[in-house]
Amino acid sequence: MTKKYDAIIIGAGVIGSPIAYELSKMGYKTLTVDKLADAGEGSTAGSCAIVRAHYSTADGVAMAYEGFKYWLDWENYLDHVKDEKGLARYMNTGSLLLKSQGHDWKKVKRNYDEIGVKYEELTIEKIKEMVPVADLHEFWPVRRPEDPKFYDEPTKTLEGAIFCPEGGYVNDPTLSAHNIMRAAEAKGATFLFNAEVVDIRTKDGRTAGITLKDGTQFDAPIVVNVGGPHSFKINKMAPGVWEGCNIKTKSLRHEVMYCPSPEGYDYLNDGYHMSDGDVGCYVRPEVGNTFLIGSEDPACDPREWVDPDDFYAGKGGPGKDNVLTDAQWKAQCYRFGKRVPTLPVPNQPKGVVDLYDCSDDWIPVYDKSDLPGFYMAVGTSGNQYKNAPVVGRMMAELIDACEKGLDHDKEPFQYKFKYIDRSTDVGFFSRKRQINRNSSFSVNG
Amino acid sequence: MQIYVCVKHVPDSAAYIRIIDNRHIDENITFLLNPYDEHALTEAVRVRDMHPGSEVIAVCLGKEDAEKTIRSAMAMGADRGILILTETGHDSIETALILKTAIEEDGVPGLIFTGKESIDDQGMQTLFRLGALFDFPVVTNVARLEILAEKALADAEFSGGVVKTYEMSLPCVIGAGKGLNTPKYPTVRDVMRSRKSPVKTLLLPDLKIPPAQARMEVVELIPHLQKRQPVEISGTDSDIAQKIVQILKDEAKVI
Repeated sequence: MTKKYDAIIIGAGVIGSPIAYELSKMGYKTLTVDKLADAGEGSTAGSCAIVRAHYSTADGVAMAYEGFKYWLDWENYLDHVKDEKGLARYMNTGSLLLKSQGHDWKKVKRNYDEIGVKYEELTIEKIKEMVPVADLHEFWPVRRPEDPKFYDEPTKTLEGAIFCPEGGYVNDPTLSAHNIMRAAEAKGATFLFNAEVVDIRTKDGRTAGITLKDGTQFDAPIVVNVGGPHSFKINKMAPGVWEGCNIKTKSLRHEVMYCPSPEGYDYLNDGYHMSDGDVGCYVRPEVGNTFLIGSEDPACDPREWVDPDDFYAGKGGPGKDNVLTDAQWKAQCYRFGKRVPTLPVPNQPKGVVDLYDCSDDWIPVYDKSDLPGFYMAVGTSGNQYKNAPVVGRMMAELIDACEKGLDHDKEPFQYKFKYIDRSTDVGFFSRKRQINRNSSFSVNG
Repeated sequence: MQIYVCVKHVPDSAAYIRIIDNRHIDENITFLLNPYDEHALTEAVRVRDMHPGSEVIAVCLGKEDAEKTIRSAMAMGADRGILILTETGHDSIETALILKTAIEEDGVPGLIFTGKESIDDQGMQTLFRLGALFDFPVVTNVARLEILAEKALADAEFSGGVVKTYEMSLPCVIGAGKGLNTPKYPTVRDVMRSRKSPVKTLLLPDLKIPPAQARMEVVELIPHLQKRQPVEISGTDSDIAQKIVQILKDEAKVI
C-alpha cells in the first residue's frame, strides 16, 4: 500500500532539511527524499558555507543577518539534538568587503544602515594592519591571465573596506545539513536516501505525490522542490509548474580553489572572510592553513550551464565536468595572487567543482507554484547557504498559510523574522516576478 | 655550473583519463609539470643559489603545449628553458638520447636533475639511461643532497624505511624524491617574470639523433580498475582510532 505523508520534500540539502524540520515542528508528517546517500551530500557539500550579510537588496541583507543569528545559536536551533557525527561549527572570522568598482558597496552600506547590521568603515592603513599580506592597489577591471593587460602594473589604491565583525563561515556544510536532519527526525520527520524522483503525480488538478525511479510511490498533498541544481528538472516533472515560472533556474558550473597561505601567515586563525570585487574573488580560511578562493563570476569568465546528471557523472569533457580546469585555476589564483603577492600557487589545481542552482536574476525563488500543493525553494545561486535555517522557517510558514487558503500570488505572505525586528515580503522571491535589476547578477546576490 | 632539470609534461592526476584507439589517451585534459620534477626544480634552484654563477635550465620533450610546463619550471626558478618539439611519444631509450643530445647542444652539465619518476608512464628508466649515456653516476629517490667541491652526497630512500648515503663524482644525475624538499610554488610575480624568460625551441630532426639500438612500444593500454571494498570501522572513538592506526601500519604500510 502506498505510504501517505502530509508533505514530501525533494532534496535533503541544507535548504530541504530545515524545511522538513520546521514543517515537522508544525505538526506535518514529512518525508524527505534524496537521490544521494545522506543529507547534505549534493551541492551543499560543495558550498563554501560563507556567512556574510552583504547583499545588493535590503531583503537580501535582512535575511542573511537573520540567518547569522541562527548559526550563532546552532545548538538551540537544533533543540539540542544529538548527532553521532558531531555538530557543525560556525567560525566567526569577521567579514571584509573591499570598497571597489567590483561591488556596489554604497548600496550595501545603505542596506546595512536600513537593517541595522553592525559594521565599521576601514582605511587602507587599518586593512593593512588586519591583513598584513594584502597589496591594496586597485587592479580593476577583472581580467583573465590570457589577457596581456592582466599583468599591467597598478597605479591607484583602493578606497578602504567595510568590515562586519559578524560574519564568517561554517566549517562543514554537509554536517550542518546532517545536523538539521537529525533535529527534524527528533520531531518525527522521515528521510529516505538513494531515492531518485522521476515523477510528480497529480489528482484532480492538485499535487498527489511522487514516484521514485524504482517505482515506489508516496502520496502527499504537498510536495516541495528543493532539488538544488536538479530543481529545474523537478519543476518540469510537475504539470504546468515550469511553464508557470517567469523566473527559471538552471545549473551553473563553478570552481573553488585551495591555495596554501604564504609562509609565516596564519590565515586559518588570523584571517577574515573577504569579498574582493576588485579582483573578482572571495576568500575564507580552510583547514591546512589554506585560502579557499571562490569566483565572483566576472563578466570576462565563461559561464558553463550544464546538465546536472551529466556533470555529476563526470561526463561532458574538460570545462563541463567535475574536474578543475587549469585555465580557471590560474584565473582565480592569479587574480587573488595580485591581492596577496606572496601567495604560492601550486602547479596542480586543487579545489572543488560543483553546481549553482542559478535563477535568471541570481535571486532565489521561494514560492508556491501554478500546481496547487507544489512549492519550491530553488535558484539559490550559490549564495543562500547562510540563509538556510531562515528559509526553512519561512517556507514552512508560507506552505502552511497557502494550505489554509492564502492566495500568495495576490496577497503575498509577510514573513516575520524571529530575531530581527522586521518582516519580509515573500512576494519578493516570487516565481512570477520580473527580473530584479537591483540584483548583482552574481554569487553576491 | 650549468644545472639541467629534465621535466615532463604529464596529465593532471585528477583528470578523467580516457583511452582512445587502445594505445593513446585523449589529451584534451589538463597537462602540468610532473609533480616529482617540482622537487627536482626546487633543489636545483637551491643548489644554484649556493653556487654563484650557476644557472638552472629546464629541458622538456613534448608537443607545443609542453611550453606551459617549461613556463611553470621557470616560474619555480629555472633561468631558461629548452623545448624539444615532437609530435609523437618516445620510449625511455629515445627520450634519454634526445635529452642528452639537447643538453650537449646547449652546454656542459655540472649536475642533472630529474624527478624519480613521471606520474604518467612511471617507467623510472630515463634517468638511468641518461646517466649511462653520459657515463654519470645516478641515484634516485633522493631525500637529501649536498654538493661539495668535487663530489655529491645523496641520501636515497628505499622501502622499509632504509636510507643509503651515496658519494658520487660530479657531474651526476639526481632523481628527486618527495622527501627531498617541499616544492617552492611560484607567486604571481614569479609567473610574470617567467613569461619573459627565454625558451629555446629545438626541432627533433635538427638534433640528428642517432637511431636507438633497441626500442619499446606500448602495444595496448588497458584501464586498471581497482576493486574497492569499503569496510565500516565501528566502536568507541578509541577503538576506531586504534583500528585506523593498525590498518595504516599493517595493510597500507605507511606508518
